[in-house]
Amino acid sequence: MPASDVQTDQATDQPADQPAILVDHVSKIFGSRRAVDDLSLSIPHGAFLSIFGPNGAGKTTLLRMLATLSRPSEGRIVLGGIDIKEHPEQAREHVGLISHRSMLYDDLTAYENLMIAARLYGVENPDARVRKLLDAVELSHRSMDVVRTFSRGMTQRISIARALVADPDLVLLDEPYSGLDPHAVDVFDQIIATVREGRTFVMVSHDMDKGLAACSHVLVMARGRKAAFAKKEEIDFDAFSAFYKKTVGMGVA
Amino acid sequence: MARSVQVKTPSTFTEYKILLGKDLRREFRTKEMLTSMGIYSILVLVVYGAALSQSSQGVDVLQMSGGLLWALIVFTSLLGLNRSFEHEKENGCLDGLLLVPMDRSVIFLAKATSNLLFMLVVEVIAVPLYFFFFLTGAPVSDSWPLLVWPLIVGTIGMAGIGTLLSTITVNTRGKDVMLAVLFIPLIFPLLYACVSAATVVLVGGDWQTTYLTSLALAGGYDVIMLLLSWVLYGYVISA
Repeated sequence: MPASDVQTDQATDQPADQPAILVDHVSKIFGSRRAVDDLSLSIPHGAFLSIFGPNGAGKTTLLRMLATLSRPSEGRIVLGGIDIKEHPEQAREHVGLISHRSMLYDDLTAYENLMIAARLYGVENPDARVRKLLDAVELSHRSMDVVRTFSRGMTQRISIARALVADPDLVLLDEPYSGLDPHAVDVFDQIIATVREGRTFVMVSHDMDKGLAACSHVLVMARGRKAAFAKKEEIDFDAFSAFYKKTVGMGVA
Repeated sequence: MARSVQVKTPSTFTEYKILLGKDLRREFRTKEMLTSMGIYSILVLVVYGAALSQSSQGVDVLQMSGGLLWALIVFTSLLGLNRSFEHEKENGCLDGLLLVPMDRSVIFLAKATSNLLFMLVVEVIAVPLYFFFFLTGAPVSDSWPLLVWPLIVGTIGMAGIGTLLSTITVNTRGKDVMLAVLFIPLIFPLLYACVSAATVVLVGGDWQTTYLTSLALAGGYDVIMLLLSWVLYGYVISA
């Protein structure tokens, strides 16, 4: 991937006094179940937070709340100083989501999918932006092919381009390695590394090696609660590994 | 927060055009909804043919023509409405739309418009076929061209409320049945008014008062339900 293509797109001028993400006593309640239970954390700008935990721990629920796709039942979430409950549309301008689901229309071409996103976000000169992103994910040669004909790895690359179309400050990754072959994983890592600087990332993953390699902060969740939260340099990896296995194995912390 | 990519929030009308264009382009390419609705409407006509041919001596088809026509339209529309959010659900595309910083009622307006257009296209094919098979030779009133207004007003209402309901039911188990269970009772006043208006313009006689009253009722229903759907849509789609 030509790094110069995307390095000019880095978000800048982050306010020093506001964390990129502030989660303040947030809960998400479905019926009688607390999917996320009184969670609080603060993530600085430029950080890479990896979230681990067993199935049903509330990781994806937390990510969907950060993406404004789901409203907290209690507490508040502030993204770069913007309260997502009070100003959800303003917050959405700064969020990009890459999921294991591509969010792409199978019957439209890669170019059409990206153009729709670029125009909806109000990107000026959307054609140039889309072509630049297609170059960046090395799929210019397939830009006029419908997404249905793409491999999983290629679809994921277009999905990355879609998420970055409006140059978000906060990029959310929900199980991004799901279904990718080893080569596609390498390509994905390469692209993420290129756009990494200047942006805040939050990744939900079951792949502990990948998550730990990329992150600056780690959050372990169990039963909707914060089981552990630390900066990467503060982690004793052997102890963390044992703790994580216990958490995942027992479903508790 | 500042960014290097220049972004200017598009107008609501621009967002509406983009979303409508997306639905039309996709349908133009796949012809999924139009094909399934078109074939289904022809099959309903075949069933009508079988049912009515058995009782041709005792049944005045013209007197039932408004009701039969609207039964055809309602069931065909249900099929289309059920499919209208399918491709948004695939690959999480709906999440992609919900991530965009725009008023979510624009999604409703665009989707209702595309549903309306698809339903009207199918009606353009199905209604002449219905006339050809069942009303050829029948003493249809000279006022029959006025049938176009109840068709348009009725289809607008069904597209609007159907779009809201298909959004509600898209993630439910047994969504096909659920949409019908919600849709038919809710459109009953509109259906009743449109059947009345259609029947009187086909049968003739002293049709003006009934026609205009029915059309006014259907129009009033459309205005109220479309406004309600528009206002509620943000909440419904977020939930």
